Amino acid sequence: MTSSLVQVFKPLASLKLTIVCLACAMVLVFVGTLDQVQVGVYEAQLRYFKSFFLYFSLPGSQLKIPWFPGGYTLGGVLLVNLIAAHLSRFRLSWKKVGILILHSGLILLLVGQLFTSVFEEESQIQLDQGQTKNYSESPYLDELAIKNSAGANDDEIISVPASKLAKGASISLPSEGLTLQVNDFYENAALIGPKQLPSENYPHLRVGPMAVAVAIPKTYKQDERNQPAASVSLLQNGQQVGSWNLASGFPQPIQFKIESKPFEIVLRPRRYYRAFSITLEEFRHDRYAGTEIPKNFSSKVRLVDAAAHENREALIFMNHPLRYAGLTFYQAGFGNNDHTTILQIMKNPSWLVPYVSCGMMAMGLVIQFGMHLISFVRRRVVA
Amino acid sequence: MKRIVPWIICVIFLGWAVSHLFPRKPASDFNVTGFGELPVLAGGRIMPLDTLARVSLSQMNHHGIDGTANNESSVQVATQSQWLLDVFMMPEHADIAKVFEVTNPDILDLFGWQKGGNYSFSDLQPFFAQIEHQAGLAAQTEPEVRNAFQRGIIKLRDVLRLYVQLKNTIQAQDSPDFGKEIQIFQKVIGPGLQAVRDRDDGRSYDQQAFERILLFTQRYQNLVQAKYAFAIPNPKGKTENERWSPVSEALLGSIGTGNISYPVIAYSQMISSYRNGDVAGFNQTLTEYQSFLKKYLSHDLRRPVLEYYFNSAQPFYQALVLYLLVFVLALLSWLVWPNTLGRTALLLLGFTFLIHTAGLIIRMYIQGRPPVTNLYSSAIFVGWASVLFCLVLERFYRNGIGSVCGSVVGFVTLLIAQNLQFDGDTMEMLRAVLDTNAWLATHVVGEALGYSAVFLAGIIGIVYIIRGVFTTSFEETTAKAMSRMIYGVVCFATLFSLVATVLGGIWADQSWGRFWGWDPKENGALLVVLWNAIILHARWGGFARERGLAVLAVFGNVIGSLSWFGVNMLGVGLHSYGFMDQAFGPLLAFVGSQLFIMAIGLVPLKYWRGIRARTIRQPAIGEAVPAHAVPR
Repeated sequence: MTSSLVQVFKPLASLKLTIVCLACAMVLVFVGTLDQVQVGVYEAQLRYFKSFFLYFSLPGSQLKIPWFPGGYTLGGVLLVNLIAAHLSRFRLSWKKVGILILHSGLILLLVGQLFTSVFEEESQIQLDQGQTKNYSESPYLDELAIKNSAGANDDEIISVPASKLAKGASISLPSEGLTLQVNDFYENAALIGPKQLPSENYPHLRVGPMAVAVAIPKTYKQDERNQPAASVSLLQNGQQVGSWNLASGFPQPIQFKIESKPFEIVLRPRRYYRAFSITLEEFRHDRYAGTEIPKNFSSKVRLVDAAAHENREALIFMNHPLRYAGLTFYQAGFGNNDHTTILQIMKNPSWLVPYVSCGMMAMGLVIQFGMHLISFVRRRVVA
Repeated sequence: MKRIVPWIICVIFLGWAVSHLFPRKPASDFNVTGFGELPVLAGGRIMPLDTLARVSLSQMNHHGIDGTANNESSVQVATQSQWLLDVFMMPEHADIAKVFEVTNPDILDLFGWQKGGNYSFSDLQPFFAQIEHQAGLAAQTEPEVRNAFQRGIIKLRDVLRLYVQLKNTIQAQDSPDFGKEIQIFQKVIGPGLQAVRDRDDGRSYDQQAFERILLFTQRYQNLVQAKYAFAIPNPKGKTENERWSPVSEALLGSIGTGNISYPVIAYSQMISSYRNGDVAGFNQTLTEYQSFLKKYLSHDLRRPVLEYYFNSAQPFYQALVLYLLVFVLALLSWLVWPNTLGRTALLLLGFTFLIHTAGLIIRMYIQGRPPVTNLYSSAIFVGWASVLFCLVLERFYRNGIGSVCGSVVGFVTLLIAQNLQFDGDTMEMLRAVLDTNAWLATHVVGEALGYSAVFLAGIIGIVYIIRGVFTTSFEETTAKAMSRMIYGVVCFATLFSLVATVLGGIWADQSWGRFWGWDPKENGALLVVLWNAIILHARWGGFARERGLAVLAVFGNVIGSLSWFGVNMLGVGLHSYGFMDQAFGPLLAFVGSQLFIMAIGLVPLKYWRGIRARTIRQPAIGEAVPAHAVPR
């Protein structure tokens, strides 16, 4: 290697940098874990671990000041540091083979996790006994969906993520020259009866004859989700088509027509449509004799994929997921007096990576420490 | 002579321990031991009545039964089984046994009491309505934000309910003579059933017989609420669910069949004999019932009998006391008679380890699980693994440090376990997601091994600092040996915690659908891995030498304790089966003490007594100490 390259690598490959990064990672993990009490696991992930920086916002201003590296930054620097160290310092020798395998496993793990956090997609499917669905829903995200049933074959669905809905926003849709205008938007809303309003002038959106939506603070609790509400107008080539108040807590589609073509609009948990369908045949919730302690949860489901000529039963239970079409189905919950099952669906193209890297790291550590141990014992025995 | 002394000392103390391994002879002539061995289904598993008694009592107070003997209670009960026997068969006696601990000042105020301590069911009886009311109010607050009063009053209500359930386990608590009651019931069933049939078919029927059977039915239907422990076996049942039932179900079932099942009759006869002071009759019925169980339910009988002996032997308590003794002997060996005392300490440590091991294996057999299934068993296993590491270290270094460190970790972890057992059954059934021996045996055991290595390195670090700063017994070879021990143990800690954490990720991928979810328990494990990695890299980079390594290892204690217990106190995440809300104070105190020791370790080396003593002893070359002799 030329000396100039070494000069570039040297600071990047420094062991001090490794230690500083590891120490920062500990601080980050510690603070991020403590903050989960306040903001919940999901939000803490986004703020601390799936971010480049932690921001401090001055009270009363929009200014955000980065004050600590986030998970992506630290992971990235560690990765560069590790690779640089191997390129500049390590010589291939039998003595170092353990460390080499260990570090390769670690690099694989870090890259794999980066991959996962970018490409992973989490959704849930809630099925009553006998119910069939060909879509799953996000446990966190919402969407505004407009269904165009005028098409010849399949319905066309235009989805706008709720994160894009902000008061005053104007979003042009990719169909029929439509534009969506957001008149008002609540990140989280409660549905109450109109008479429960503190006063008539209290800001609210009327979403039905018996219900109004009022804004409430965002929730971070583990067992609750945010249910946004919005007031939107739809315009076609500048002409107003209609204006509706929608609430994700009451995801009943509203029907309307454009030039006598049937349309539907709804604000709902974000849906992921699948090429196959799942039917719940039986849900079981076994308890230990004479107690309420759960022994097992299991869902017997039927998987039907006409295109792939699949029509079979599968049993999903704890520690035994179903893997199909790049998705994995887990038993995640239940409700409705044990008549409803909740399956968690994960799309994670790099799910195999940790298995490989785990093996590599374990092997590397065993080789490296094993060599230490053997030479130590030999010396002791001789002495 | 010198070679024999250690053996003699060991034999004396082992004799003490072994003498405790056998059950205490009950003061009563009634066969309390036999009663304590009888199987019952509670908390989802078959346990001996003795365990039911211990688990129930440990929730009622923190002293087990011994607390009552010292009180000026009119009833003196010797063992847990004896207490349960009273609860089952002589409730009016049990009612005045002082077993309910009330210490919260606000709860005491509520009753107008001054002194905290143990109170009896009768003492509390006038306040039942108040307790129900206050506990109902407290229950409306979310569990995480309840204050000490709210937690205490709910707990008190729950243990009182538990007690009432226990009283109705094998009889109706208000029955003056259950044996007679069952005899009458048996006589009533036949004519009663006939009367019911006649009445349903519109024939003339025996009015008196009809009313009697109705009365009994109503009486036993009231018993249905008590279904904590299922004491009545049914040999014909195939699953555990079918094989065991509460007494109410057995009695109501006999109305249908016309026959009262034998176990109900046996228990009712025991009750009558016990209440009449008929020792021979009681013991006779008990023996008959035991042979019935042996004949028809031998499968459900094996483990409870072993568990009864395990309970009374208390191997972990014996080991706790012996570890303390080893610690004292090993410390003394650094001051006087190093060889004799050192050998004694090591020998005794080895024997104590055997008792510890035996306890661990019997627990595993009784439960049919790998060693770590909950916080309690993790404490026992972490201690066990640390002592094992220490014995190996001592084998190579023979400097007494292994004995000291092993005994300290053994003692402290078993002490923690002693305190954790008040949460209820330590062999509780595992929630669905944990019901997998493969992962329990790999991921969970690996994490526990990681913790034990982390704490061991931390303890050696403490010994390094204390000996160096405060004592003159800090020769270069000893210091170097300790440093190498720390390094070796940290290597092990890294290996186990890293592999176990990644395995945990794979388990999570199998059961929750993600490899890593930044859940508090996962983050705790990650902190341990990161810290070990920092120590190793700091040593390889030369940023931490001997002293630095020791100080870093002590901080490992902080990280380890936060990861082991601290994250459970957050109450967040999916690993909710390990939650606990107490012990925040002790944890904080522990962390503070470790930081304090680190501060001592950072005192400039010229003030270390151990190093100054070296300078005086070896002014070899000029006046300076050779550079390599000074740890940095």
